[in-house]
Amino acid sequence: MIVVNGLKKRFKLAKELLNTTSSSDSRQREGFFHSVENVSFSCGRGEVLGLLGPNGAGKTTTLRMLSTALKPDAGSIEISGQNIVKNPLKGRKAIGFLSGTTGLYGRLTARENVEYFAKLHGLKGRALKSRCDELFTRLSMGDFLDKRAEHLSTGMKQKTNIARAVVHRPDVVVLDEPTTGLDIMTKQNIIEFIRDLKADNTPVVFSTHHLDEVALLCDSVCLIDRGTSRFCGSIEAFKEVGQSGELNDAFMNIVNQGSLHV
Amino acid sequence: MFEVFLKEVKELLRDRKTLFFVIALPIVIFPILFALLGFLASKTTFEAEQKVHIYYLANASLSPDFEQMLFYHKSFRPYKGNEKFETIEALKSAVKAGKIDVGIEIPATYDSQVAGKHQQISWHVVFNDAQSINFVYKRLEKLINKFSAQIRSTRLEALGAPQKEHPAILKPITITKVDTADKRENYGEKLGALIPYMLIPLVLMGASYPAIDLGAGEKERGTLETLLLTPVTRTQLVLGKFLTILASSISCALVTVSSMAIWVAIAGGIGVLDTIIDAFSSVTFTDFLLIFALLLPVAVMLSSLVLAISIYARTFKEAQNYMGPLSMLVFVPIVVSVMPNMSLNTTTAWIPITNVSLAIKEIIKGTVDHSAVGLIFVASALLAGALLMFCIRWFSKESVLFR
Ligand SMILES: Nc1ncnc2c1ncn2[C@@H]1O[C@H](COP(=O)(O)OP(=O)(O)OP(=O)(O)O)[C@@H](O)[C@H]1O
Ligand SMILES: [Mg+2]
Repeated sequence: MIVVNGLKKRFKLAKELLNTTSSSDSRQREGFFHSVENVSFSCGRGEVLGLLGPNGAGKTTTLRMLSTALKPDAGSIEISGQNIVKNPLKGRKAIGFLSGTTGLYGRLTARENVEYFAKLHGLKGRALKSRCDELFTRLSMGDFLDKRAEHLSTGMKQKTNIARAVVHRPDVVVLDEPTTGLDIMTKQNIIEFIRDLKADNTPVVFSTHHLDEVALLCDSVCLIDRGTSRFCGSIEAFKEVGQSGELNDAFMNIVNQGSLHV
Repeated sequence: MFEVFLKEVKELLRDRKTLFFVIALPIVIFPILFALLGFLASKTTFEAEQKVHIYYLANASLSPDFEQMLFYHKSFRPYKGNEKFETIEALKSAVKAGKIDVGIEIPATYDSQVAGKHQQISWHVVFNDAQSINFVYKRLEKLINKFSAQIRSTRLEALGAPQKEHPAILKPITITKVDTADKRENYGEKLGALIPYMLIPLVLMGASYPAIDLGAGEKERGTLETLLLTPVTRTQLVLGKFLTILASSISCALVTVSSMAIWVAIAGGIGVLDTIIDAFSSVTFTDFLLIFALLLPVAVMLSSLVLAISIYARTFKEAQNYMGPLSMLVFVPIVVSVMPNMSLNTTTAWIPITNVSLAIKEIIKGTVDHSAVGLIFVASALLAGALLMFCIRWFSKESVLFR
């Protein structure tokens, strides 16, 4: 169970940006860019939450805060009752993170890549081997385990990355646009992976621009627009608030409603 | 931390490009350098020795004896053209135009019966001294001195001194030189100044190639973010990476110094390049060890520096852009060390790189002060510590990690 409440994150503006960009963007104030202003959502066991929002809405920033890579300016993130903002080390153990831009160590083999992260997470000896083997079998990675990552196809890299992200049995899995730029086959790896996690009762939070994936996988959605979560709830409630049975239309309607309030 | 170190080393060993620069280059650079130096030196010397100089003797008629001497010298040949160069100015422009190699002007006041006169007279020798290995002046000077000696002899005899007393009159006291500064100290000054120029940049190279990969490369490939999400602390990460870079840098230094030692031995065996062998002749195995030990503080300092740069850089390319000027900048403290009157003492021991480069020079000269060497280690450790703190701080700073 992950509960996110009132997250805020601002970035200092680069000097050259300070004067050039007009303050037409309401998120740019007092020399800061308020990337995330108020984001709250929750995702329980066996639940898959889709994080939606236009480009620049603040999805990546939000997910990076979940992953403890960025420290929120305000707000809380609780995983199984533990506030990981106060205790990032707990958060790192509890979260499995994967983004579309995540890379591998090219000169290490697929196996070595996964084992390295297992070791960094404190796994050793038999426990390490059995956990890795379990993942390699589940993701059917046998064919390319001992090939260097730089020689792997995108699909193989993807699988290696997935194994790497969950090797420490995280309580929550966070994915940032995991399917962007992938072909149908490799996309399928991800979709199956998310389904597996759901079957294991692991909460999954993932951001995406593909609403068909949302329809396919998600129990609930959170829509972020200009740094603020505008909607958070079940798919059904989303369609209701968006006044449309089509996810696309509902998305547009909610974003437009949001702009009316501003 | 150890996991990070082991993995980085493993990855490094699989990188051919880095291996080439860290291991292969230092091995081949010395034989190439020695061979090139020896070849060039012997070639230019040989050419200079073989050269026959075309001369013009102004007012030749005033000294037929000298004209004869010059004419029959194997390295001189008279100018065959029709032009006359009877003044110094004319000789100068003839040398400049390349018509002659050397011009000699016997002043018009010169009297061939000089033997009876009691005055000095000045001849002018016009030539171009721009070439570094140039025998024309030396040869001519020798010839004129010989001629001069003949005249001196005649004069002394005219004054009533018999031939056999001439040496005692001309040089009543002769000196036999007993020099305690051996060859080592003389050559050591020159060679010892040269060695840091080769060694320290190689140590830097051994550090900077892997560093680019370990810092900026990690950002560029998108592995940094996941690395930061492991329970490993930033300090452990930085230390693991630092140790890897240090190991690479030290291997580079080790390979370099052993390669230098081995090639000096080989060159000694086949008897080429006597100058270099002479200079190294009394450098003992212990000295080689000491040189290597001194490269450690340089390696520690440079490793932490390049890691800091690499972590700060956003991309591979940006890191390379910073490393470029650095490989030039590293020469500055080395140049400082070869400036006159610079020696290793308790003050200079605090200047990074300059200190080590001074120490290496003095080891080869055989005049090193061991307590100052101790101070070098302290100074370098402090500096490296400070730089590593920077690395750790930057590795925790969002604005550097997600620029
Ligand atoms: N490190 C940073 N420094 C300054 N501004 C940043 C930084 N990171 C993000 N931003 C800004 O914050 C805003 C939100 O970025 P974010 O990447 O979170 O959006 P997103 O919702 O993931 O967008 P996309 O759909 O394009 O991935 C953007 O306008 C971006 O320029
Ligand atoms: Mg994004």
